[in-house]
Amino acid sequence: MAIKKIAFIVEKLPYKSETSRLALTHAIASQTVEIHLEDGDNVEPVLAFVGDGVLNCLKNQKALEVYGVSSLEAHVKNALLLDLRVLVCKEDLEGFGLTEDSIVMDAEEIGGEVTTQVVPYEEIQQDLESADHLMFF
Amino acid sequence: MADLKSIEPAATLDVLGRVCPYPLVLTKKKLEKLNSGEVLKVISDAQASVEDSIPKYCEKHGCEMETVKLEDKGYWEIYIQKK
Repeated sequence: MAIKKIAFIVEKLPYKSETSRLALTHAIASQTVEIHLEDGDNVEPVLAFVGDGVLNCLKNQKALEVYGVSSLEAHVKNALLLDLRVLVCKEDLEGFGLTEDSIVMDAEEIGGEVTTQVVPYEEIQQDLESADHLMFF
Repeated sequence: MADLKSIEPAATLDVLGRVCPYPLVLTKKKLEKLNSGEVLKVISDAQASVEDSIPKYCEKHGCEMETVKLEDKGYWEIYIQKK
């Protein structure tokens, strides 16, 4: 019986590859794996956006009209809807001249109850150190 | 087995248009807020969730479950009683 903490770290820009979309899909899907595990076993995901990856969280993405695909913004909102811990690196966000107003901080309009946490990298690093598995995207 | 659909649901969850894994995860989240013995009604058109993942979850957690397929509407109503 164990809870395995898995950190999904998104470092890549959104679009033109499936990389960050895969991170979100896997993080969200990890919420269902308990049905295939032994009693008491489960997965605790944490989703961290660092470096260029913080741009996946931008508001008002025009993915459908530019690339003809669904928006990463919508996937971030879905992660919040499902109560995933979503962390965004404060320093990297500031490096792009962005603030919390520029990114998806909640998913209230679809019933989400948790919010994005913009935190110093040091806090993200603590999460990475306490994780059983790290997955970089 | 109890006739769950005859019991007034404590909550209803509409996940029409959402595909796996959302119906299961949103069902889990809703069930966590219910008290033991209360019934959750889930409305879903995601066949894989209705026939596979949600039943597996209910079995694992000892919840009674009853599914009604509404052929004319193209979706299912799932009644789940929290253990």
